[in-house]
Amino acid sequence: MKTTIISILIFCAFALTAQNAREISHKYMNATEVGDMEMISTINIYDAKGNVRTRQISTASRKFSESTKMLIRFLAPADVKGTALLVYDYEDQDDSQWIYMPALRKVRRIVSTEKGKNFMGSEFTNADMSRPNQQDFDYQLIGETTLEGRKCWKIKATGKTDALKLQNGFSSNISYIDQQTFLCYKIEYFDMSDKLHRIQYITDYKKQTNGKYFAYRMTMQNVQNNRKSEMIVDKFQSGSKLPENTFSPAMIDKF
Amino acid sequence: MLTGIILLAAIIPLTNTKINSNLESYMPDTMLSKINNKKIGEFFGNDETMLLVLENEDVLQPATLKRIQNISESFMMNDAFEQVLSLFQTKNIQSDDGMMVVTPVVENIPEQPAEREALRESIRKNDLAYGLVVSEDFRYAMIMLTTDQQMPDVELMEQIHQIIGKYPGNEKVYMTGQPYLRTEANDKIALDLMVLLPIGLCVMLIFLWISFREFKAMILPFSVVVFSIILAMGLIPALGWELSLIGVLIPIMMIAIANNYGVYFVARYQEINYYHPGRNIAKIVQEVIAYLKKPMILCGLTTIAGVLGLVVHLLIPARQMGVVTSIAIAFALLLSLTYIPALFSIIGKSTKKQYKQVNEGFFHHLLSHVGKLATNSPKRMSIFFIVSFLLLSGGVFKIHVAPDSNKILPEDHGFNRAIRIADEHFGGSKTIDIMFEGDATDPALLKRIDEYSHRLEQNPLVGRTASLSMMIKKISMALHEPGEPGYNEIPEDNFAVSQYLELYGMSADIADFERFISFDYMHTLMTVQYQAASLPDVEGLLQDISEMLKDEPQPYVVGGASLIDKEISQSVEIGQYYSLLFAFLAILILLSIIFKSVTAGVMGSLPLVFAVFCTFGLMGWVGIELNIVTALLSSISIGLGVDFTIQVFWRIKTELMYTDNWQKAIDKAVRGIGRGITINAFSVMIGFSVLFLSAFPFIQSFAFLIIISLFLCLISALALIPALCMILKPKFLNDQRPTSKVKCLTSKV
Repeated sequence: MKTTIISILIFCAFALTAQNAREISHKYMNATEVGDMEMISTINIYDAKGNVRTRQISTASRKFSESTKMLIRFLAPADVKGTALLVYDYEDQDDSQWIYMPALRKVRRIVSTEKGKNFMGSEFTNADMSRPNQQDFDYQLIGETTLEGRKCWKIKATGKTDALKLQNGFSSNISYIDQQTFLCYKIEYFDMSDKLHRIQYITDYKKQTNGKYFAYRMTMQNVQNNRKSEMIVDKFQSGSKLPENTFSPAMIDKF
Repeated sequence: MLTGIILLAAIIPLTNTKINSNLESYMPDTMLSKINNKKIGEFFGNDETMLLVLENEDVLQPATLKRIQNISESFMMNDAFEQVLSLFQTKNIQSDDGMMVVTPVVENIPEQPAEREALRESIRKNDLAYGLVVSEDFRYAMIMLTTDQQMPDVELMEQIHQIIGKYPGNEKVYMTGQPYLRTEANDKIALDLMVLLPIGLCVMLIFLWISFREFKAMILPFSVVVFSIILAMGLIPALGWELSLIGVLIPIMMIAIANNYGVYFVARYQEINYYHPGRNIAKIVQEVIAYLKKPMILCGLTTIAGVLGLVVHLLIPARQMGVVTSIAIAFALLLSLTYIPALFSIIGKSTKKQYKQVNEGFFHHLLSHVGKLATNSPKRMSIFFIVSFLLLSGGVFKIHVAPDSNKILPEDHGFNRAIRIADEHFGGSKTIDIMFEGDATDPALLKRIDEYSHRLEQNPLVGRTASLSMMIKKISMALHEPGEPGYNEIPEDNFAVSQYLELYGMSADIADFERFISFDYMHTLMTVQYQAASLPDVEGLLQDISEMLKDEPQPYVVGGASLIDKEISQSVEIGQYYSLLFAFLAILILLSIIFKSVTAGVMGSLPLVFAVFCTFGLMGWVGIELNIVTALLSSISIGLGVDFTIQVFWRIKTELMYTDNWQKAIDKAVRGIGRGITINAFSVMIGFSVLFLSAFPFIQSFAFLIIISLFLCLISALALIPALCMILKPKFLNDQRPTSKVKCLTSKV
């Protein structure tokens, strides 16, 4: 009887912790849910020796009834300037993507099953660029710590299945979420062998007109190959007035 | 006391001995292949490749595919492996209804025969997979793994075995790759030392007993062997070196060599004791030392000179072996002149029975016969040697140099089986990398690389080539319709190439390209996969590549794993010549100095020339390849074989002090010193015969050849040298009168 009561208490405590962790994570996602936006950003990709490859891109994103549509266009360097990528991000089906290559003056649809792979050759993955589906993860509050003077929760999110882990490109991650603001300042990603793989630092949060926060600088450090990538937002505008037909494959070369 | 201190000092570092079976590390860092590979590694990493081959009647059977999927995905989950490439990771880039679709070759395992045949057809059309991760007859499937060399080999191999073991199946699994080779070689080096050393010591102990039938005559030379082995093996870690594959030979060499001087001492001691039963031990020991000191030191010096020939070898372990064995031989010589006589004096005298038994046996009759044959028919004997020399040494022109180090392991080892499968079904197990410097997105460069690929693929040895050009053309096929301009072509401007790369980065993993293009897009790599059965094959292909690239405007570097193999093989061949030349010259000079005659130098070198060339000729006739171990043969056999000649010269010279009759002097010399030489030679041969039990086939070959070589040195010393002396009657042997010490020693013997 005593054992049963202890077991129930442990189970309840575990369930409560999991619930809290999921809620904290949800609050973080809610605090940074900017919705429609337009921005210009610079991506610096560093190799282990410190060589850098730079890409400047403009991004426009709008949520429509059946999907969120995102249009990315390269502004620099010159050899890829004008290259554009259109993504339809569906809730319940695979993304649709089109690319426009100015050198060929052609729009091509591309199919990718590689969400966990690197985004534009950087240390960010395609999965990092989109908001995670909370249903795919188990959450656990594993502790508290102070990060640069901020008291943070450490929330561990673990992929529910091996397939999901492979798809996302990590087995679990630990987010450091500020207890005051619910903003996340650091995420540690663990590889399929549960070894630390990448560390993301998120800084320069700015409050937008809609009350949400947006990070103007993200750095991803790969501790296994010593490569680093940073994404710096040069210009940000909350909301977008671009009409829906701008986000169509036929218009991709005119954006 | 001094012996004890030296041994103690040698035992302490022994515990820090490290085994190193990495053949690449055997080469100096100044070798071109290493420099080039380092340059390529700066931009494309120094990853090593492991190949796993699964064999089944049809690898597209669901169970086999499931196993490949489970195994390859487990490797992907393991961070020891940088890249994993199997049917489940290799991409299928295709155009589908106006879309560029990048998918794994096998997305779903086909359960129905029709689905299976559809998959087979799709694979046949995909040159990123067909013949690369699956054989053309679908009997073999390949899983390629790359590792960044961070994890120790043993741990890495454990992980591979664990993953394979976790997913059992009916398929046969073979693997090959440097980490596997090193692990297997390391295990075998340790096993060899554990097995060969005790057996070798036991064999030596038995041989000494059979030869001398006296406890102290057996145990004292034996203890010198043990002490010398401890010193030689202790010197390796003490000098900051590691025990190499070649290092297995060191203790066995010491077993064979270090007892020589003790054997001469004991043989002479028993001889004098037999003829002078009344003489006390101190007197006998004194007489033995007086008689043997000079020839023993000379034998020791000439052996050291021969073995030191290895110091000029191009392979680092060969040089290290030359140094440690030389020091240990010098130590054995010192012990034989101090420690053995001292203990003989302390232990006391034995009866003359031992020598009598031997004197009336096999050796006596054999040597009498040989001596008579050489002195009665010296010309016939010389002709016999000349004819034998011409017949045997003719095989020298048929000697092959091993093109790689694969034969370290037995032919039927899974490692070599996987190599054969890769050669026969996957375009080859060897690779050459060509790195081009300059803007890698330059269409002109990419078109030239494409042209090089076509030219190289005409070469029957080349299975396939892979390059950025191939990938760009593959993407172009997905972006254009067949017949449309641009289909299966390199684009005309570099902006388009850059955009192709961005496109691929967005639709798949840009890491797929990192094998071919550096981070800064300023270097591109072309890989040539090929097979080669001999060094000339490799050299021929490299010559073709060099010819092909002679007008290439961009700087380029040729490297790759097989370049290391090629340079090791060339080093084996050239190092062999250096060592041979050094040893011959050293022996020629030493003999000329010892006997104050150039004729002595030349005559003394003849048995060595005979033995070495006949042995190499035999290698050619029998088909034994010159490799990192067999290339050590000449220096070692010269170092050992010259002893016999010196002993014979010395004894003839001594005998000629008392008679002007050359026939009588030579005959007596052969019968007298012949026993010591023969026992010595057989003890060395028996010592080396232990190497037949080695786990390494080429060490077994070495055992065969060194025994043959020593036997040839022995018969040359006992038959050719006496015959030549009989014909030439050289002055250097007949220019002295006896000293009082030698006179009393030889007067009755």
